[in-house]
Amino acid sequence: MIELYHIWKQYQKPHWAIADVSLEINTGDFCFITGPSGSGKTTLLRIIFREILPTEGQILIDGVNILKIPDHKIYKLRRLMGIVFQDFRLMFHQSVFANVAISLQITGLPDKEIRRRVFNSLRQVNLHHKMWEYPSRLSYGEQQRVAIARAIVNHPKILLADEPTGNLDPELAYEIMTIFKEINDQGATVIIGSHDRELIRHFGHKIFFLQTGKIIGQEVKP
Amino acid sequence: MIFRQLKYLLQSAGHNLWNFRGRNLISVLIISFSFLVIGVFLALSNNLTYLGEQLSNNLAISFFLKQNLPAKEVEEIRQVILDSTLVDNVVYVSQSEALSRFTANFPELKEIVANLDSNPFPPSLEARLKDKSVTLATITAFIDHIKRLPGVVDVQFNQDWVEKMESLSRIVQAIGFFLGVILILASFFIISNVVRLNVFARKNEIEIQRLVGATNTFIRIPFLVEGFVLGLAGSLLSIFILFLLIKIFPVYIGQTLGAAEQLLALRPLSLEQMIWLVVGGALTGTLGSASSVSKFLRV
Repeated sequence: MIELYHIWKQYQKPHWAIADVSLEINTGDFCFITGPSGSGKTTLLRIIFREILPTEGQILIDGVNILKIPDHKIYKLRRLMGIVFQDFRLMFHQSVFANVAISLQITGLPDKEIRRRVFNSLRQVNLHHKMWEYPSRLSYGEQQRVAIARAIVNHPKILLADEPTGNLDPELAYEIMTIFKEINDQGATVIIGSHDRELIRHFGHKIFFLQTGKIIGQEVKP
Repeated sequence: MIFRQLKYLLQSAGHNLWNFRGRNLISVLIISFSFLVIGVFLALSNNLTYLGEQLSNNLAISFFLKQNLPAKEVEEIRQVILDSTLVDNVVYVSQSEALSRFTANFPELKEIVANLDSNPFPPSLEARLKDKSVTLATITAFIDHIKRLPGVVDVQFNQDWVEKMESLSRIVQAIGFFLGVILILASFFIISNVVRLNVFARKNEIEIQRLVGATNTFIRIPFLVEGFVLGLAGSLLSIFILFLLIKIFPVYIGQTLGAAEQLLALRPLSLEQMIWLVVGGALTGTLGSASSVSKFLRV
């Protein structure tokens, strides 16, 4: 369960990127955080995986206040998560395989297992045939799929995705959402920041509406 | 699991060393230059030490004796001198021997000596010193002791030279220590900055590793290995260049120095010095790398 209590975030005075956001996401939820550009979706996701700290507020994940985790133990939190960044954050001088495998290599899995899982992840995003290419030689959409493969390869308990389908055609976006849904069906909590109304309408189970850093609405579908 | 991770980290370090070979080559050259300066200084210092040793080896003390001193007393004095731990051997120089040495060394003054009624040169005992590293204070104490013996009238010892040599040696050591510390510090900062550039260029990669859950150790190890390899390669290269310099120096530069050639010559490093340089290079590379990468490991 992910609980956010009165989260405030200020990058620069006097503007608040996030203003008093409180929300609860249950284990196994498939939820969207939506809103126009600049509404604070990315900031909220970055706070949840503790890339940045909120100015005020508390965040509990399974009862643990993640803001109190010492810096040298943050890796334990991150290993529970799979993250798809809006800007992909790929290592451009390393192959697609290496980019995806890094999430597993840090855990010390055997090479054979790493190869198997990386191949499966890449097959899920339909990119297994480009395993040894370098990201710089891939299209924007393909790079995005590499980022998705990296996020799902370690079977995360929480999957965070920031505009994961922003550069994909509708068919592929639908396929990617289906993959996320499959991961969700296996028990993972999925949180997606997106403004794609069609996808939200089709897949959204719990939707948070964000505007100028505030939650202005919440919708839960049965 | 640890071995698997270690294997991966070493592969990763190798991969990065090769991928950024241009930048790494420049790093190695800069490191080797720093260590070359230290090496050149060591080689010069080695030469001065060698010259000092040569001078010490030739040091002898002449104890002049009373004329017509009975052989028994001469032998007693000789024995006292020989008993000293400083002395290697003692040679008796009779009056006639001293005269013939003089005439051999200064043939132009032969006539003057021949006109004298008697032989003006006193007999002497010449003592050669054993230990080259003996201090001036010890030698002076020894001379004072022998001087007090009945039958010894005067002592000749090239004290000036010993003093000069000792002070030169002290200056060389002080400069060596001073320069050594400065150069090692400079090398450390150069290496740490070069590595910092490498780390900075891979800031993105470090950030990604952290965000997917890598521990700081996992991120740090390849950089430390790279720093170690760069430092090691740099110091080995500096030893190789120094070796070439030592070979080339007397041929090209040495001749233009004239009398100073002997003083400014480069003498090869001892095995111990080479090992220190290599260890120093590897250590500086590793520590420089560690200090640089730590900056990027904050959450």
